[in-house]
Amino acid sequence: MMQRENNPVLSVRDLVVEFELRGQTLTAVRGASLELYGGESLAIVGESGSGKSVLVKSLMGMLDKNGRIAGGSITYDGRDLTRFTTEREWLTIRGREIAMVMQDPMTSLNPLKTIGEQIGEAIALHQNLRGTAKRDAIHGMIKDVGISDPLGRAKQYPHEFSGGMRQRVVIAIAMACRPKILICDEPTTALDVTIQAQILELIKTLQRRYNLTVIYITHDLGVVARVADRVAVMYAGEVVEQGTTEEVFFEPAHPYTWALLSSLPQLGRKGEMLYAIEGTPPSLFETIKGDAFAPRNTRALRIDALYAPPSFQITPTHSAKTWLLDPLAPKIEPPEVIRRLKG
Amino acid sequence: MTRYIVKRLTAAIITLLIIISVVFILVRQMPIEGYFDNFDKLDASVIRARLVQMGLTDPLPTQLKRFLLNLLRGDLGTSSRYSVGVPIGRILLTKIPISLQLGLSSMALSLLMGVPLGVAMARSQTRYKARFWDAIGTVFIVFINAVPAAVYHIYLQAFGSRALNTSMLFSREQPLTWVLPIVSMSLGSTAYYAMWLRRYMVDELNKDYVALAQAKGVTNQKVLARHVFRNAFVPMIQYLPTSLLYTISGSIYVESLYSIPGMGGLLVDVIRRQDNPMVQILVIIYSCIGVVGLLLGDMLMVAIDPRISFAKKAGAR
Repeated sequence: MMQRENNPVLSVRDLVVEFELRGQTLTAVRGASLELYGGESLAIVGESGSGKSVLVKSLMGMLDKNGRIAGGSITYDGRDLTRFTTEREWLTIRGREIAMVMQDPMTSLNPLKTIGEQIGEAIALHQNLRGTAKRDAIHGMIKDVGISDPLGRAKQYPHEFSGGMRQRVVIAIAMACRPKILICDEPTTALDVTIQAQILELIKTLQRRYNLTVIYITHDLGVVARVADRVAVMYAGEVVEQGTTEEVFFEPAHPYTWALLSSLPQLGRKGEMLYAIEGTPPSLFETIKGDAFAPRNTRALRIDALYAPPSFQITPTHSAKTWLLDPLAPKIEPPEVIRRLKG
Repeated sequence: MTRYIVKRLTAAIITLLIIISVVFILVRQMPIEGYFDNFDKLDASVIRARLVQMGLTDPLPTQLKRFLLNLLRGDLGTSSRYSVGVPIGRILLTKIPISLQLGLSSMALSLLMGVPLGVAMARSQTRYKARFWDAIGTVFIVFINAVPAAVYHIYLQAFGSRALNTSMLFSREQPLTWVLPIVSMSLGSTAYYAMWLRRYMVDELNKDYVALAQAKGVTNQKVLARHVFRNAFVPMIQYLPTSLLYTISGSIYVESLYSIPGMGGLLVDVIRRQDNPMVQILVIIYSCIGVVGLLLGDMLMVAIDPRISFAKKAGAR
């Protein structure tokens, strides 16, 4: 599935996003860098509050009103999106280039408009269709996402659909925009397990058919393994490790990725305590000195407390922000569970 | 839907019948002075004769039946003390149009001011540190709710009549004298509409479907108009018919302040004067407004909100 082009379609450099909260400044994204290549599936993983949702919202200019991009750049199609100030500029991106599927299908549809109207709104905006052509496009879109009886269904309201069906409708709305990039913000979190697989399958099918680039945001590593070509691991507002799914899963380099993988129940052994990461993520209200993960990292080096590590390139596709990769660093072995993954 | 309406209508009619009967029976327990304008001067035999003549000595069910049949024919009875011997229907016909005109105008005015104010307040919520309208609106709403209505009504009358260079009192012939009472009456509901619309719109603004609409590339302006405003207005629409109908009852305070010969205060007046037939009719009219208003409100909701359905659930889901 990976059609790696030389140049990324979207690249985020040292992005800083700040929120003004009760007179304090919260830095939700602290210098995150990320590349997105055409046609791929990138999964952004990380725990709650790691800044993954904020990062993708800033790609569409949809930060909450008290948030702002304080630094860095987002390059898309030769333009730096961080310089956008007006709604008009963002409208050239929203839907048209990048569309979004949100987490909770129960609340992401307008309860008072029919499914057809809501899909039609996107079709009218981005495909410039009116009248019967629009109606046909609506029915086609509904069928595309695997809902039968499109004619009847288009006239129904969201409350007449089940959760999984609603998520299909949300996907239909996003796809009706004919975007190049589709952001799926935890698309399956609110669904039950059997439906989850169907929705992921649907996104993959649509991706193939429309040559989409997909960004998944998730904290479900099972989803990652199933759909992603590449993975970016976020911690405390930074992308700490980025690489192909194989590289990140089988040869993780960052201690946080080690910890994250170690806490997978599948990797635990019967009779042993399930691994859990000690401590809590740092407060994003304060300036973080050194490596943000150092206080929770049992293998932290002395330098971790002093200086933030730069990004080290491991392979052309794999990079991580940890001093362990510095040539001068002592040789520190990953935990045993992780070594077992390699073998 | 039709079945639901028929069901609700039947229930409403039964409710009204019960209310009419109860009111009728209660009024029958009132002192009989209420049927005479010069009770003290009459002697006992005349009183008895007049009671028999008015049918008030008949058994209650017979009286009630006669009253209901008269109502159906449009005969509301005659006033006994308020305006002796005049048919109540005629009294109401001179009073209701005045209150209705003023009331409808003031309701239109308060919707015209309250709705845009509420929208402006909610809109300023979407912008960071640009809450001018929210601040203005909040001051207005708090003022209207905190200051007793009598105070600003009087100030408005005193300063307004000077500013408009008109009389302080109402006169049907001079349209300019209508302005102040209408404005006075609209202030309270303007604040009410603005407050609730703002609240419901802010609620809607924070919902995910608004973000999805934005992510589609719909302009903020259109998101507000097509999605947020409409959804926020639905919970308010239920009470519009009741407010609309109650405009015929007039405003006691404003009408007395400007000497408006409307419905406001009429009920208090006839109770004080013990005009039994009129008390009875007015109480019945107001309860009808309540029942019919609620019925219309519910039907409007069904028409507007697809989630509310009184038909049996079809096999969806």
